[in-house]
Amino acid sequence: MNAGIISAFLLVVFVLALLATLLMALVRVSHANRRLRMERDALQQEKEVIFGFVHDVGEVFAHSEEIDLDRMLQRVLFYALRTTRAGAGVIYLMEPGETTLRARTVSGIFPPLAGTLDPGFTKAVSKSQHLEHMIRNQHVRKGEGLIGEVADFGKAILIEDAALDSRIPRYEEEFLHIHSIVLVPMRFLQKVLGVVAVTNRVDRRPFSETDMSLLQALADQASVSVHYAGMRESLDEKKQIDYDLNVARQIQTALLPKSIPHIEGVEMGAFAHPAREIGGDYYDFIRVDEDHLGIAIADVSGKGIVGAIMMSICRSTFRAQAPGCTNPADVLIAVDRVMADDIAEDMFVSMLYMVLNIRTRELTVARAGHERPALSQAGKRGFTIVDSPGIAMGIADMDAFEASIKPVTVPLQAHDVVVAYTDGVTEAMNVRGEEWGIDNFLEAVSIAAPEGANSVLNNVQQRLLRFVGDMGQYDDMTLLALRVLE
Amino acid sequence: MRECIIKTEERDNLDIVQLDGALDSYSFPRLESTLNSLRQNNRNRVVLDCSGLDYVSSAALGALIGFARRAREQDGDMKLAKLSPKILNIVKLLGFHKILEIYSSVDDAVAKFES
Repeated sequence: MNAGIISAFLLVVFVLALLATLLMALVRVSHANRRLRMERDALQQEKEVIFGFVHDVGEVFAHSEEIDLDRMLQRVLFYALRTTRAGAGVIYLMEPGETTLRARTVSGIFPPLAGTLDPGFTKAVSKSQHLEHMIRNQHVRKGEGLIGEVADFGKAILIEDAALDSRIPRYEEEFLHIHSIVLVPMRFLQKVLGVVAVTNRVDRRPFSETDMSLLQALADQASVSVHYAGMRESLDEKKQIDYDLNVARQIQTALLPKSIPHIEGVEMGAFAHPAREIGGDYYDFIRVDEDHLGIAIADVSGKGIVGAIMMSICRSTFRAQAPGCTNPADVLIAVDRVMADDIAEDMFVSMLYMVLNIRTRELTVARAGHERPALSQAGKRGFTIVDSPGIAMGIADMDAFEASIKPVTVPLQAHDVVVAYTDGVTEAMNVRGEEWGIDNFLEAVSIAAPEGANSVLNNVQQRLLRFVGDMGQYDDMTLLALRVLE
Repeated sequence: MRECIIKTEERDNLDIVQLDGALDSYSFPRLESTLNSLRQNNRNRVVLDCSGLDYVSSAALGALIGFARRAREQDGDMKLAKLSPKILNIVKLLGFHKILEIYSSVDDAVAKFES
């Protein structure tokens, strides 16, 4: 009898434990699902915002002779509010001399962060107008208050619950209360150009980390244009041309990867030689997902500032599309769709995008009118030129582009080397007007291929520079190489 | 690089534009003004004789496509003839042979306009 009770009791305990475990597992799965869903939504939101903004910037720059800094900043702030669902926002820009900042555009009721209202405020008929006037006329010193701190350190600040933070001013007036605030720096080439600040979500919820990173992404994208427009404002017409070339070069440099990502099982590298007259080369390495690596190289046909801006649009679109998508043709089609709307009529972008499956070592290549990559196989002489059909982006109508592009997959073995390049390399010229040519290029690759990707880069670079000598080049020369390791 | 020499030969209902030399960012504006003046005179049927062309920059190629596109809107076209193997290779790499019509002789291109 006792034994029966005990075994029944044990059974109940066992069933309960099993149920609890199941329940916990369920909760965990649903949490994980929820997290994944939230991550996906955040990514989707970011894509949409960046797309909208990029599209807008494209429009602003379509008439690059009439770029107006204030109009640009208004658009940036419009997107900043829309992205974070903030009720109010302000953009401060660094003043010449870089010791103070001044508000250039304000939207909604943005309470002064300095904490004091001027005596005229209580008497003012339109409080919001008075407030905006006040904010626009107050200079903020670098290092002073939240705005100054962000400008000084170049780091974003997120205050979810402003009630707990002593840096937030407390106003008696209800409509001046700050519940939550995000401030991000606008940076270009390690320099802080300004600060974007937004307050109080319209749904009364606190700002999140996602809001902050979205706002930072937007500010980063905007900085390029703001830097250009802002500096240009102060120059006379003659100096503007030199300035344009200079900025185009700076933008281009800023868009190239600062470092090569470290991916186990793959050795890779790149070099880029900008031309005297600005070219429009771009390359990128991107982690597509855990098993896939994306490698892109592109050449914008337009040079100068318009070419550089097109390249920046191309890069933003590419970077928004590439994560999670293992078919490189789909990514190029999506990039073409955005570019087709924005690109000037006679300009185009040739682009090669390859996705390497690190586990299976399969390389999928999609080509939008770009030079074909060369594959040097371990233990074999000669090269395989990987051909895949496709038209350059921005020139054909979208249906024709989509129909033209077909990805090709090649299996790679350990020690195989793949190189991709822009036509500046093979069309490089010496003082006698001779072209370096594809044969010289491939020979330089094949000699160094057994020693690895970096050796290929060094060898090509040395031979190429020896060949061109002092001759200034018309076009950028860009090369990237990767080798699959054991 | 050889400076590009541009010659225009007017035939009944089309123009043959002969290119000799290199078409880079320096010489391209001259071709552009030649093409623009043709367009302003409503001459939208052009055969580009490229037999003497030894270099063409990508920006120039883009502008050629732009001209062809605008010409097509006026029921005209710009057809390319006698491209050197090297330039034909560039045109094919870019996929532009799917947008522009390319012929091995000027006569073939002219005949296509007349057919």
